[in-house]
Amino acid sequence: MSWEHFIYFAIAAVLLWATGAWGAWKDKTGMAYTTTVLGLLTFFSFILSMWISLERPPLRTMGETRLWYSFFLPLAGLVVYSRWKYKWILSFSTILALVFICVNLFKPEIHDKTLMPALQSPWFAPHVIVYMFAYAVLGAAVVMALFLLFRKKSFTSEMEITDNLVYVGLAFLTIGMLFGALWAKEAWGHYWSWDPKETWAAITWLAYLIYVHYRQLPRHRERLALWMLIVSFVLLQMCWWGINYLPSAQGSSVHTYSTN
Amino acid sequence: MWIKPWTFKEGFLIGAGLLFAGLALQLSVGPVAWDVFAWPANGIVMVGFLAIIALIFILRKKVYAFLFLGMYQAAIPAMVYAVVLTIIMGLTRQQAGGTWLNDMLSFWPFVLIYVYIAVILGVIILRRLMHLNSWKRDVPFLLNHLGLFIALTTATLGNADMQRVKMITAIGEPEWRALEQGGAIKEMPIAIELKKFIMETYDDGSPKRFASEIQILTKTGKNIETTVDVNKPYEVDGWKIYQYGYDTQMGAQSQISILELVSDPWLPLVYTGIYMMLAGAVCMFVIGGRKRV
Repeated sequence: MSWEHFIYFAIAAVLLWATGAWGAWKDKTGMAYTTTVLGLLTFFSFILSMWISLERPPLRTMGETRLWYSFFLPLAGLVVYSRWKYKWILSFSTILALVFICVNLFKPEIHDKTLMPALQSPWFAPHVIVYMFAYAVLGAAVVMALFLLFRKKSFTSEMEITDNLVYVGLAFLTIGMLFGALWAKEAWGHYWSWDPKETWAAITWLAYLIYVHYRQLPRHRERLALWMLIVSFVLLQMCWWGINYLPSAQGSSVHTYSTN
Repeated sequence: MWIKPWTFKEGFLIGAGLLFAGLALQLSVGPVAWDVFAWPANGIVMVGFLAIIALIFILRKKVYAFLFLGMYQAAIPAMVYAVVLTIIMGLTRQQAGGTWLNDMLSFWPFVLIYVYIAVILGVIILRRLMHLNSWKRDVPFLLNHLGLFIALTTATLGNADMQRVKMITAIGEPEWRALEQGGAIKEMPIAIELKKFIMETYDDGSPKRFASEIQILTKTGKNIETTVDVNKPYEVDGWKIYQYGYDTQMGAQSQISILELVSDPWLPLVYTGIYMMLAGAVCMFVIGGRKRV
């Protein structure tokens, strides 16, 4: 299996996810579950075959992490759907996944089989996968925030949705960060070195903590809380890929692996 | 202003006061000298810090400012300051010994804000411990907050006791001296002899594996033969031994291997905090946002 086959798997998966999204709108819950799961299986079988053919987890380059992101968005959507039954969530996760699939089709960034010794660790897959899942869920939260701020003028019950998404996202963000710390101890000798990636991970984490705490206040402004989510997600982008372009991080981050 | 109950305004002013106090300290005594916290100083500071937190908690009914420390109106501004300072840190090039913003970890305003956060954490943890009522709410709360408190304080105070040295090992010559970060030579309680340096590459020449087959002799009488790989350190007598470097001119034929030896006596405490936070995160996922009343 190679990268040329991606488009077929992608089309099949997106069609299945779209059917699932349609099913959710029409209250055909069974259909929503089945087709979304089938789509996930289709997409994952591609990831798995890449894993096998590359002889390493496809997690090294931005393109490879986008692959996981496209997979986790519908999965996160499905988890949210199964728990809170929001009709729109599957449509939304499908569209977002499609965006990332398109980015990968136009800018694949899938590389060779090489995996530098620093990445050969049992921590590699869980660390990145957990983070990608967190990013997917927090991506869902920010779209919800944008929707509430600019489309829907009055809301109260919907805030619960963003809260739930943030709690799940923050939980995974925390796990991803701490897995990273435990791995760093094994790989670099210290669990936290304030590497630019680590600094921005701490910033992102703190930013979401502010939202969570602000929302606990009995009297607070919901619009401000939603703006916090938008700012937090911008900070998250900085952590995810922004630091690659940040002058202060050039040459000082041990987290850069994709430059050949 | 300063009319009870205090609001975010007062919270932000207290934070700003700390920033100014930090600037004053930075100007008068210079950057935070973390080295002075080496054992036993860090142990004494830790005990003193816990005592101060306990005192603040006990006096909260008498001193309103202490009561205020346990409120969101204090905690949220503290986190906002921390985020802003950490963003500045993320946007500026950091180096040990840099000036002001370029060495944020020794910049007093940054340090004071994080100490302030630790104090707030301490106070709210004590309050929760005194008023336990539902394990479903209290256990996740304590795992998250106490875990962070333990990790934050022990990692910071324990840092001065961490030793990181490089040992250049050669084939056939047991080595017991190592280079400290400043370049000073340190005699180690363990001697290491390189048996074989291993370097494997992929077909395109990019590195696949760096490892050292070594023999370790310790003062405690151990005689160990093992292999140290990147990502697979070996631990003996409180020292973790890492593959660090080799003779890059010689490549796979390198007759030497540079190992890094790290000792961090506070690590078990930091890991206790980290594991508590991991458990707390799992609780957060399971319980989610449902717990609001």
